[in-house]
Amino acid sequence: MSLFWIVIRHLAEIEAMATSKKVITKEEWEKKLKDVKIRKEDMNKLVMNFLVTEGYVDAAEKFRLESGTEPDIDLATITDRMAVKKAVQSGNVEDAIEKVNDLNPEILDTNPQLFFHLQQQRLIELIRNGKVEEALEFAQEELAPRGEENQSFLEELEKTVALLAFEDVSNCPVGELLDISQRLKTASEVNAAILTSQSHEKDPKLPSLLKMLIWAQNQLDEKAAYPRINDLSTAKLEDPAV
Amino acid sequence: MPTPASALASASSSHRRASSDLMVRIGSADSEIKLRALRELKNQIIGNRTKKLFFLKLGAVPAVSCALAQAQAQAQADLLVQSAAALGSFACGFDAGVRAVLDSGAFANLVALLSFPDDKVVDAGARSLRMIYQSKLAPKYDFLQEKNMEFLLSLLNSENETVTGLGASIIIHSCETVVEQKALCNAGVLKKLTSLLEGSPSQKDASLESLATIIKKNPEAASKFVSESRRALSSVIDLSKDRNPRTRLLACMCLIVIRNTSPCHLQDIGIKTKLVYLLLELLDDPGQVGEEASFAFSSLLAQKEDLQKLAFEANAIDKLHNHLQKHLLQPRRYQGILLALAELCSKLESCRSRFLSLEVLNLVTDALTHEVADVRTAACICLRSVSRSIKSLSAGRFMKEMIVIPLVRLLHDPSTSVQVAALGAVSNIVVDFTTAKSTFLQCGGLKLLVQLSKSMDPILRFNALCGLRNLMFLADNTCKERIFLELTAPSLSSLICDPEPFVQERALALVRNLVDGCLDSIKYVFAEDGIILDAIGRQLQNTSKAEIGIQGMYVLSNIASGNEFHKEAVMHQLLLQVNNGTQAFILKFLQSNDSQLRTAAIWTIINLTIPSSPGASSRVVKLRSASIVSQIKTMVNDPCVDVKFRVSTALGQFMTIGDGST
Repeated sequence: MSLFWIVIRHLAEIEAMATSKKVITKEEWEKKLKDVKIRKEDMNKLVMNFLVTEGYVDAAEKFRLESGTEPDIDLATITDRMAVKKAVQSGNVEDAIEKVNDLNPEILDTNPQLFFHLQQQRLIELIRNGKVEEALEFAQEELAPRGEENQSFLEELEKTVALLAFEDVSNCPVGELLDISQRLKTASEVNAAILTSQSHEKDPKLPSLLKMLIWAQNQLDEKAAYPRINDLSTAKLEDPAV
Repeated sequence: MPTPASALASASSSHRRASSDLMVRIGSADSEIKLRALRELKNQIIGNRTKKLFFLKLGAVPAVSCALAQAQAQAQADLLVQSAAALGSFACGFDAGVRAVLDSGAFANLVALLSFPDDKVVDAGARSLRMIYQSKLAPKYDFLQEKNMEFLLSLLNSENETVTGLGASIIIHSCETVVEQKALCNAGVLKKLTSLLEGSPSQKDASLESLATIIKKNPEAASKFVSESRRALSSVIDLSKDRNPRTRLLACMCLIVIRNTSPCHLQDIGIKTKLVYLLLELLDDPGQVGEEASFAFSSLLAQKEDLQKLAFEANAIDKLHNHLQKHLLQPRRYQGILLALAELCSKLESCRSRFLSLEVLNLVTDALTHEVADVRTAACICLRSVSRSIKSLSAGRFMKEMIVIPLVRLLHDPSTSVQVAALGAVSNIVVDFTTAKSTFLQCGGLKLLVQLSKSMDPILRFNALCGLRNLMFLADNTCKERIFLELTAPSLSSLICDPEPFVQERALALVRNLVDGCLDSIKYVFAEDGIILDAIGRQLQNTSKAEIGIQGMYVLSNIASGNEFHKEAVMHQLLLQVNNGTQAFILKFLQSNDSQLRTAAIWTIINLTIPSSPGASSRVVKLRSASIVSQIKTMVNDPCVDVKFRVSTALGQFMTIGDGST
């Protein structure tokens, strides 16, 4: 049986158990789990939702063919969105901006914070590539006006421009801006904005379900001793502590 | 490394060269070059207000409009998409851009794009038009023309989300009058919008906003909406629990509009409580939703004591206080929270006590010196509400320098709306039940009030007089003298004869407070040859407004409670016209439909004919010959108890005085 099935059944069982405190053995638990009904279609939809939101186009397409589950958005739009995400992750911010504007010109026009972060990323890339003169020009032309238009960006702006002041950028206090994680952060922000503009939920459902599981187990811990799932990746049922 | 200065100097000149080159390429005859240039321009301006302004000044908008028109003639989809997108971006949240786009004549061309066979072109056109319609500068849409209504319906019926969004924006922008609301209802727009409530997130939002616009202040539209579909109202209620905070806010705003417009819907305690909690929670949103939530909260609470009570029980004051304490409050958010506090404290003493106990007053007085006029106005309105607390006024909580000084300063604020709001707060604060009112007078407040009472703007004159009247309330003799000397008799008489009746009434109310109380105060109306008393007499003769009559008669009544000289002066005013053959105004007042006016008139007669005063009997003779006594006799069974009681007192006095005849 797939891990996924186990997790979902476990969650449903816990919710039912929440009212009484006692000790439940592994055998009793597994027997109860067997009685819980979960529909395969629901599971497939969760998987499809995960693949689509995260942008795994090929996997989503294959899953669609093999399971017959219809995605809730057009897979073609995923391709466009993934192209943008990839461009940011590779540091080609200008390209990403052009692609977003082709997809939907409203996104950056109505999202000042996102636009600022993309401009900020552009500056970071220029500095990373040692193009100091261009970076200075860019900071003056593009980032300073953002700070003027909106006071709340000033602090982040100052941090970014500080990068220019250091000879050895990798060792300066704001060095974390040069980290790959900064690119991923920006990429994630763009991804979410595009999903929202396409009227799609920006977070997949699966993590929420797992969070619910952990929360439900914590709640039940106060009332009963039962087989817990401690490792989400294996979904293994641990014997109850007695 | 090159010096920063030289780098920047060369940067700006190369930038200028690049942009003029871009402008040239936009006008190119070669489609490829033009397309690339348009795309480049679009990418430069999107999200970038500074660049929009820059290119606007370079004349980019007419150039792009031209490109749009040419592309239309040659049905070139790519060029249409890029030029429409560029124009849309110029118009996005940027009024100067909207104006430029409209001036360039592109509007009609954009509308034509909506029927183009290519979906991407339709999308681009609809999006740009929607941007334009979000601005007040957009052209007014005439719903009353059949062709236009049909076009609007076709937009709302479209499969394309952006196009339906455009339809909704047009309604939100242009639907203003009851006639327009009715026309939209009759054309079946409500039904269409109700179905869009089940659509995509953007359709839901657009529909909620347009429904609110059509239903606002129109009870018929509200009823039609609720009755046309069984699920209509419940759909909106469901949307108030939507995942998206903006949708929740718009749903709340729609429900509030329905509630306020049509008192038979949404009145149960459940929905009221829900709305209070939803809005308090939405206040926490850091963006625009949070800002607008406070305004929605104000409209929920306005004039509704039951809701203010519910909000108080939900700890609204504490929550709003917490928001006020945050740093860097955006001006609109600051304004919204202050106005919400003002509504909360407008009627309930419990709210005002809580407000004062939390020391919120300090945060509000800080706002009196904020750089944005709307925030200053909101702070004054808030102070006005809170200072309705008689308990706190008596305890002198407001007559403190840290409040009075900035407030008095606002009396010369450059913005009239700030001045009016400040006058409102001042008017309450000076009713502090202390006879000296020294703090206010020391800050030069009196001088400013008098100055404003001479303003060209009648609203300012009116509000200044309210302040002066309240300042005069229960003031001691020294204070009264100071006020009178500052105001001067000629000035007061001219205010009594002001062109605006509502100003006249206030001036008379001021005089009433002036002569009230100690007998010594009556002397003021006789200053400078009695110009004030003469002015009062003239106004009472000429007025047709009950309010003015009431104030004037109470002034005369107060004067008539004085000594013989005072009583005779009042008699003189009452009988002035009788000598010329015209009816005495007091007769008109005694016959008035307004019971308050009849009461005021009788009081004057009572004070004039108190049996113990020496000249009483000769006054009764004069009143009798002016037919006033006989008029009073007919009022023995007046429907108003107050009047009836006073009439019997007056008649009793006439009898006691006795003059031989009955």
